[in-house]
Amino acid sequence: MTTDDPLVRFDGVSKNYGDFQAVKGIDLTIGRGEFVAIMGPSGCGKTTTLRMLAGLETPSAGTITIDGNVMNDVPAHERDTPMVWQSLALFPFLNVKENVEFGLKMRGVEQSERHGRAMLWLERMGLKGFEKRRIDQLSGGQRQRVALARSLVTEPQMLLLDEPLSALDAHLVIRMQGVLTRLQKELGITFVYVTHSQSEAFAMADRVVIMGHGEIAQIGRPQEIFRAPKTRFVAEFVGRNNILPGEAPGQELVVAADRMTVSAEQPEGRAIAAEFVSEEFAGTGIICYFEGPDGAELKAQVTEAQLESLAPEPGKRFWLSWAPGAEHVMEAA
Amino acid sequence: MMRGTLFSRFYLVALFTFVFAPIVTSMVFSFNSDRFPTVPLGSFTTHWYQTAFARPEVWTAFGNSLVVAACAAALSTALGFATAYTDFRYGFRFKPAYLALALLPPTIPLVIMGLAMLAWLGRLGLSGTLTGIVIAHTVMGAPFAMAICRLRLSQMDPALEAAAWNLGASPWRTMRSVVVPFCLPALISAFCLTAAVSFDEFIVAWFVSGLNKTVPVMILEILQGNVDPQINAIGTVVFLTSMTLVVVAQLLILKKSAT
Repeated sequence: MTTDDPLVRFDGVSKNYGDFQAVKGIDLTIGRGEFVAIMGPSGCGKTTTLRMLAGLETPSAGTITIDGNVMNDVPAHERDTPMVWQSLALFPFLNVKENVEFGLKMRGVEQSERHGRAMLWLERMGLKGFEKRRIDQLSGGQRQRVALARSLVTEPQMLLLDEPLSALDAHLVIRMQGVLTRLQKELGITFVYVTHSQSEAFAMADRVVIMGHGEIAQIGRPQEIFRAPKTRFVAEFVGRNNILPGEAPGQELVVAADRMTVSAEQPEGRAIAAEFVSEEFAGTGIICYFEGPDGAELKAQVTEAQLESLAPEPGKRFWLSWAPGAEHVMEAA
Repeated sequence: MMRGTLFSRFYLVALFTFVFAPIVTSMVFSFNSDRFPTVPLGSFTTHWYQTAFARPEVWTAFGNSLVVAACAAALSTALGFATAYTDFRYGFRFKPAYLALALLPPTIPLVIMGLAMLAWLGRLGLSGTLTGIVIAHTVMGAPFAMAICRLRLSQMDPALEAAAWNLGASPWRTMRSVVVPFCLPALISAFCLTAAVSFDEFIVAWFVSGLNKTVPVMILEILQGNVDPQINAIGTVVFLTSMTLVVVAQLLILKKSAT
């Protein structure tokens, strides 16, 4: 998980705005060539963390190290941490090629080389022939690719992405996810991707950092986070699972929806009686929603064939059970 | 519905007539051969223009006005932009007071402003100089320039500057290659508008101009002597100059709102 020679290190990094502590002493290492997603609800400190990495915010405490150098006081323009912005922040008074060339120009790269490198990236992003266009003459997907080209043309060792897909249509999001994962593999550079969307983070990232209330709640591979959420906060944020009381007092279990079995008869072993509420088609299967004892919402993923044989109706009683070992015991909150 | 439309059309026409009738009258009489502004009109002539612009003091006044307008507009725009940018970029404790002070000059009665400027510039030894008029007009124009620049900056994505820093541009470089280009339509518009304000301004200029008269001051002095159609001719030129500046400013404001 942690390499011996990480690219980025956060050591006890905090950020205060007056009395409000946006980030509370986080420790995090990011490896070279790793795709890390920082995920959490709005206001959890994920964007502040990313902005500190880019030098747009100064940590109030702790140190940020990039490539072995302490970066706390290095201004943004002296860092090599290009970012793709939520608003894209393309320069409206420059055309496509001038936007892509901007970073090279600021670094004093001479004109002919600038042109060559910009054109190469425009071609790579499928924007050949658009170089003279104005930004407002492009579609959302095209702008996205201009923003990527603009950030990557300087060949950085790390790319920061701040909810870059949140403004796109659903079908474009899936396509851009493919573009981003492929790019990251091809370039072999580090991607730090901030998002509130589980599906984006789980689809692309090697490692997911879940943040809540300015703290890191859990770090792990997507499957780990999904199967074994450390705390109730993580389990609830990730969703598609059931939070159940454990055997010891105060203990809680989590069982993923796809590991829950629905049966009409009471099975052997531990099972929960629950009333059917509704179903939702979810691509990979059907999520059935139940109301358990004391009103808890329970979820189970079933196939279409299973749904047909169960013939659920709202209010109908079922038994939910899971194979031994499918549950995960969470830390007490 | 129909009556309402009709009424508002009539109202619009009446309003513009009311506003522009005196100016149109002055323009018409500037081409009228009669000595006094009476109807029926005499014949068409450019005589008044020829006599007016044959006078060297008219050329001097126009020269003074243009120099003052250009300098005051440049200074007002620079000052207004800096003030607006400070407001956009930084949060500080006395910001409301800062903004109120920056926007205060247009609320001061012009006579008071003229007197105050005369006293102050006199103390600095600048009264009666073109520099003095430039200073006075800069004070009067800067709030307008600031308002225009603020409007434009409010349309700027706050991430735009950060994006430039992020791509390796120092704060000064960002100002030069991102903020100023983004605000360029507003800057030109502010320049034109403050130039028009200065070019037309008479009261304060009258107080501080001394022997270096601007066009409006000269018009008043000619008027004090006698009623002469040359005034109409000069007035028409002044009006057209200001109108051109204002129209250019407006076009740029409209254009920038569209993007």
